[in-house]
Amino acid sequence: MNNFKILFIALAAIALTLSSCKKDPEIEDPEEVITTLNYTLTPASGGAAVTLSFQDIDGDGGDDPIITVGALAANTTYTGDMELLNESVSPTDNVTAEVAEEDEEHQFFYQTTGGINIAYDDTDANNNPIGIRSTLTTGAAGTGTINIILRHEPDKNASGVSDGDITNAGGETDIEVTFDVTVQ
Amino acid sequence: MSALLYALIFLFPHLIFAQNCTLTISGQITDEHTEEPISYANIFLEESLKGVVSDTLGRFELKDICPKHYHLSISHIGCETQRFYIDLQSDTMLFVVMDHHSHDIEDIIVIGDNAVPTTQQVQSITAQTITENADENLSNMLETITGVSTLRNGNGIAKPVVHGLYGNRLTILNNGVAQSGQQWGNDHSPEIDPLVANRLSVIKGVGAVEYAGSSLGAVILVEPKKIAKEPHLHGRGSYFFETNGFGHGINAQVQQHIDAFAWKLNGTFKRSGDKRSATYWLRNSGAQEANFALQLEKSFSEKWLADVYLSSFNTSLGVLRGAHIGNLTDLEQALERDVPFFTEENFTYTINNPRQAVNHHLLKAHTKYFLSESQWIDLTYAGQLNIRKEFDVRKGDRDSIPALSLTQLTNFFEAKYERELPRETHFKTGVQFQFIDNTNNPGTGILPLIPDYFSSKNGAFVMLNRQAGKLFLEAGARYDYVYQHVATISRTLPREIVRFDNHFHNVSAVLGANYELNESLHLAYNIGAATRHPAINELYSGGLHQGVSGIEEGDENLNSERSLKTTLTLEGSVKDRLFFEVLGYFQHIGDYIYLNPQDEIRLTIRGAFPVFRYEQTDAQLLGADLSAEYHILENFNAQLQYSYLRGQDISADIPLIFMPANNLRFNLDYDIAKIGKLENIELSLTNRYVFEQTRLEDAQDFAPPPPAYLLTGIHLSAQRQLANSRLTLYAKVDNLFNVRYRDYLNRQRYFADDLGIGAVVGGSWVF
Repeated sequence: MNNFKILFIALAAIALTLSSCKKDPEIEDPEEVITTLNYTLTPASGGAAVTLSFQDIDGDGGDDPIITVGALAANTTYTGDMELLNESVSPTDNVTAEVAEEDEEHQFFYQTTGGINIAYDDTDANNNPIGIRSTLTTGAAGTGTINIILRHEPDKNASGVSDGDITNAGGETDIEVTFDVTVQ
Repeated sequence: MSALLYALIFLFPHLIFAQNCTLTISGQITDEHTEEPISYANIFLEESLKGVVSDTLGRFELKDICPKHYHLSISHIGCETQRFYIDLQSDTMLFVVMDHHSHDIEDIIVIGDNAVPTTQQVQSITAQTITENADENLSNMLETITGVSTLRNGNGIAKPVVHGLYGNRLTILNNGVAQSGQQWGNDHSPEIDPLVANRLSVIKGVGAVEYAGSSLGAVILVEPKKIAKEPHLHGRGSYFFETNGFGHGINAQVQQHIDAFAWKLNGTFKRSGDKRSATYWLRNSGAQEANFALQLEKSFSEKWLADVYLSSFNTSLGVLRGAHIGNLTDLEQALERDVPFFTEENFTYTINNPRQAVNHHLLKAHTKYFLSESQWIDLTYAGQLNIRKEFDVRKGDRDSIPALSLTQLTNFFEAKYERELPRETHFKTGVQFQFIDNTNNPGTGILPLIPDYFSSKNGAFVMLNRQAGKLFLEAGARYDYVYQHVATISRTLPREIVRFDNHFHNVSAVLGANYELNESLHLAYNIGAATRHPAINELYSGGLHQGVSGIEEGDENLNSERSLKTTLTLEGSVKDRLFFEVLGYFQHIGDYIYLNPQDEIRLTIRGAFPVFRYEQTDAQLLGADLSAEYHILENFNAQLQYSYLRGQDISADIPLIFMPANNLRFNLDYDIAKIGKLENIELSLTNRYVFEQTRLEDAQDFAPPPPAYLLTGIHLSAQRQLANSRLTLYAKVDNLFNVRYRDYLNRQRYFADDLGIGAVVGGSWVF
């Protein structure tokens, strides 16, 4: 039984030595994260730009996102520019460039209420819309919503998709943000 | 030297022995369990090419045999073919006991070649069934056992559920070593090649204190056989082809036992492409697997034995493309669709993202030393290396970068001492040390869901059993000290490492009794109590679980679960025509840890996600397993299996989620001993009916459980004796009527139908 005892002590010692070390994980830089969406609307007839933005720097969980919405003018046409950023890394990562590079695999969808209309103003190599650039027109004064969705790997050839109808698009949602807007 | 001699005997027997061919081999064959004689067994003396069939009393006789070395093979329907190597010098009488797999309910646990009596209920699948289902993975094979269900993610990713418990609450022993890997995920299969095993068993009682099991869940044993004491090279080659997914696989085994040294080599290769549901292809559901195993055994003396086992399991598994979604809106859209997104009308073997690539390597070294005839010690070391990579559909050129990359190294030491005491008493004790190092490999560009950690578990157990007349008693107790060192990464900015050091004490105790009411009626009772410490994922998960499209959050303040389980089994037979077994069980788990859907829907830039948090409640599991077999005719059997389970959260008075639906199996078997040169012809019709899981509230899931379904299959197998080898051929059809169905425990059910009709043909050649 003596051998048994020695073995027991030896094994316990090994277990103890191993458990006294420390885990030192490398903190991953989240790469694919989109923290910020800026939808900049410049009036076609000139004047100050309006920005709709959604910012959530610490990603899922943590602090609540910061949403800022500027007011739109009634019966006005705006040129829309989409900007996506990953501000959780330094220097800030421009995700819009990544989307533009893989334009055939991405499409923005704009769903609106309150007399607001958004049309595509850009195309990929297959002549399908992307939605980084768009044209927004407002109607009479009131309130409405703008829902912006970015899909990765949608089926752009499916029925209605190139007209901005998301129903048959498929793919994964990368962004889905809704803004409550006032038209005055 | 001896190999040469055997070769000489084999090639030139006439030169060595005088021709005196007057010897007789006679014998009787009986069933291991019922002790009834087995008639219509085929007995074949390979070297003399002589064969006979056993009579109604299980007896046989081979006359006018020359004295030399022979291989004698004995086969019977529903039994694993037995082969004996005999040196015939005089008239010989053999008493052969065969293990009949059709009534495979047992009160023994078979480990290697040892049958250990137990009060727990054990059900097994034997080699022939494993070979004839080579297209299936481990969990799918186990599912034919009453009370066992499968938690799936598509058809390739499957983990067993026994009596409603799975994952961390089950113990899977691969060749005596507790399988260690990423057990926490519902989308992680056990990394084991069932074709290496000769027997798969499920111990359904209150668990065995010998293994560091948890929460009194079942123990699943994957057991390769000890190498037969045969000086010649023997082996088996098998092949199958399946129509659904155009899959095929080969398995080869060779083994030899020379002097005191034995070796066995096993290799498997499997590949299948996209599978098909009843009406459409399941895009990206292919799988590939390449495994090998080496088994070495050596006896240094009568008292001292040693063995080494080395295995490597490597797989690449596709996940249904249409099941990869971004957020809750995507899931809602997928739920509304009849045919999943990305479905295409063509077949491919290609596996694209999302996919999993998993490697699991095991090295086990074991030695046994007999201190005397009645006491011995066992020492075991086992090392396991688990490498898991999960690839997602990603932006840019990140498709080749895993979204999850984990390496886990497990070291295990065990020392056991056993002793046979007077009055049929058996004593066993042991100590075990397990050390796990879990690392997220950097470079994924995604914050890990599971943190890096070290975890050690040091335990000791003691067991005692005794046969006292018609009563068999068993008692055991176990203690484990668990230490966890965890390094999590904070969810808030700036990101920093937050460390936790946890200490847990687990205690368990079991008691059991078997009583033989009369020759054909046995009663078994078990009761056990155990605690289980919270697992790392339950404590520290944090973030989006892409595979399940939800945000999962651990709770660092969880307590250990406390569990009490009791089982009662009645096993018997009526007039040797009806065999039945009824098992009832009840389990109470205090502080049951589960993933609870929260009222909160979290807003992120990708849209809304449901939040799940690990919480504790009190749970109760109540269930029954019923199996019966009726011999309508000598060669015509009917089998019925039914499992019932009711899982309830008794604090909130709502059902528990992920509880298997009740299910029923009904099989008919028709056997023919011989037609021409074909032997042991077996034709079966199988039916599996799965009830709808009605015990679930709407708020507990994204979609209501799917309706009930019935799957019918047929299976035909036959064997043929060749001069020095034996051939088995089989064909089967699954989902014969191409039924469209979805299963509640298959996560793919949100997106697509389950598998449609598929036929498999295959054969194995044993030499």
